[in-house]
Amino acid sequence: MEKNGKEIRIFVVLGQTMISLADPRVSNPVLAALQVKLEDRIVSVRENGTADANFILTHLIKQILYEKNRLCLVNLHNPLQHYHNVGKKLGYDLGKALKDNAVKVVEPLSEIVSSIESEEDYLQEDKESIVKCLYFNIKKSLEELTDGDNQAYLIIDDVSHLLDLGVEVALVLDFVNYCVNLIDNDKISVVFNTHASTKTDEIICNSLQYIADVHVEVSPLKTGHSTDVTGVITVQKQSKRSQYHFKAFDRGIKTFHPGETIYHLYQ
Amino acid sequence: MEKNIQKSIPGTTFSTQNGQLLTSSGVPSLDSLLEEDFHGLYSKILLKYFLAEGIVTSHSTFVASQDTNPSSIVKELPAVIDSDSEPETDVQKISGNSNKMKIAFRCQNLPTDDLSDNFKHIGHFYDLSKNILKLKMESSFLKDNPERRSLLRIGIHSLGSPMWLPHSKSVHSIDSSRDLNLFIFCLRALVRSAYAVAVITIPTHLYHEISLDRCIHSSDIAIRLQAFSGTELENNQSLSDYHGFFYLTKLAAINSLASRHPGSVEYAFKLRRKKFTIEMLHLPPDIGEDRENKKEKVPSLACGGSNNHLLEF
Repeated sequence: MEKNGKEIRIFVVLGQTMISLADPRVSNPVLAALQVKLEDRIVSVRENGTADANFILTHLIKQILYEKNRLCLVNLHNPLQHYHNVGKKLGYDLGKALKDNAVKVVEPLSEIVSSIESEEDYLQEDKESIVKCLYFNIKKSLEELTDGDNQAYLIIDDVSHLLDLGVEVALVLDFVNYCVNLIDNDKISVVFNTHASTKTDEIICNSLQYIADVHVEVSPLKTGHSTDVTGVITVQKQSKRSQYHFKAFDRGIKTFHPGETIYHLYQ
Repeated sequence: MEKNIQKSIPGTTFSTQNGQLLTSSGVPSLDSLLEEDFHGLYSKILLKYFLAEGIVTSHSTFVASQDTNPSSIVKELPAVIDSDSEPETDVQKISGNSNKMKIAFRCQNLPTDDLSDNFKHIGHFYDLSKNILKLKMESSFLKDNPERRSLLRIGIHSLGSPMWLPHSKSVHSIDSSRDLNLFIFCLRALVRSAYAVAVITIPTHLYHEISLDRCIHSSDIAIRLQAFSGTELENNQSLSDYHGFFYLTKLAAINSLASRHPGSVEYAFKLRRKKFTIEMLHLPPDIGEDRENKKEKVPSLACGGSNNHLLEF
């Protein structure tokens, strides 16, 4: 009983669930703003214009690894090294997780390099087999990750680069559809990152927004650059929509409600 | 586009903050990499700076262009000069008399470790009115197996101009921006996997603004140069010191959460006979116009009799 008594002291009861104070969802401002829970199976992240939504993904990785869940990372925009370095700053060890087989990486970005000369794999003429191949790669990795009891997350950064490879929008949507259907397995959740700049990008973003349980949008300020605010995060959960301003620092992100910038930065 | 390494490569410096290898663009006031272009002149100068820096630090260098002959770009590369603010420690250490050719040869012959003193300041100063020596250049063209570890600099001039289109496709010019996206994305993959940097200039006025957004997304740093010549800003007195605006469209956060983007600061560039500089944009105080106003006012008050006391009625 005494032991239980001690444990209760470091837990705070929020609603009906018990949450530890060490939980990054409580202590980390970005994750506190996102509040992605186990029952949120599809998360879509959209970056508008020149905004960079990569920090949302890295923070989600932090949460996933904290909760001892599994991760399948598909790199189309940033190489693994980037995630590794950011991880050191955010307090997770991707290298160790890779060794422990908690994380699997599918790296089209580096595979493209080897296919530049041969014009095979990612650069072949048959665009359908590009996405097919990528899907089967992902599926294989996820099958290996869902051995245990833990939840496995699929993170794709960034889906819209498939368009750069010359894949038609319809095929990209098919690919997204296949990936979303992976959540038929209760142990799999998916996170998509997309960049919206052209009309075709927006088709993908909008369809993802439509099916997502949590939709996160990162935009630059409409008024231009500011030294105090880097951009705006909009988090949409079903009908609930909340907006935050954020300021990016080298070792973390601060979030605040619009108008509270000065209070938080200069106190 | 900067890459990580464990061995030191001449002409580069290691950023402890985010574990990147940084290299110079050749413009000391800029020292980042660029992409994007205005109608020609100034972007070409930036490209030449970038390539000249590569040659001086004996990196492998690759030049491509369809609009002009690449060899003519190479011939016109600026020569390196001594500068007041540049501490060229290694040169002074070894040879007392340092003229501009010496620097070039010293950098080439020095073992890698001796350059470590120089790491605080990377980059050199160049004289645009003189051209670099041909002898020097031949040593740093692309080799399959360089003797020692080096950096590859890729400079592509006016990519996406009509000259790049293959004949069969020149009719379907709409497709060209898709090819461009594919090229830049593959280049991103390639450059990110090696010790290489690439500078591409694109004549943006030939494209719809939106179609280049994907290229910007695939690049790490995007810079837009807007020259004043030929626009109504040309005769604007307060901007007469400068030749154009320098917009930093994108500065990606690599290996870090926050980008180094300076925020709301505006920059302008000017081209002198020997030098291309980028400065923070300051509007001069409004003194000039005041004088003109006074001159006009004085005769009008002269009819009041005395022009000594303007407030006297």
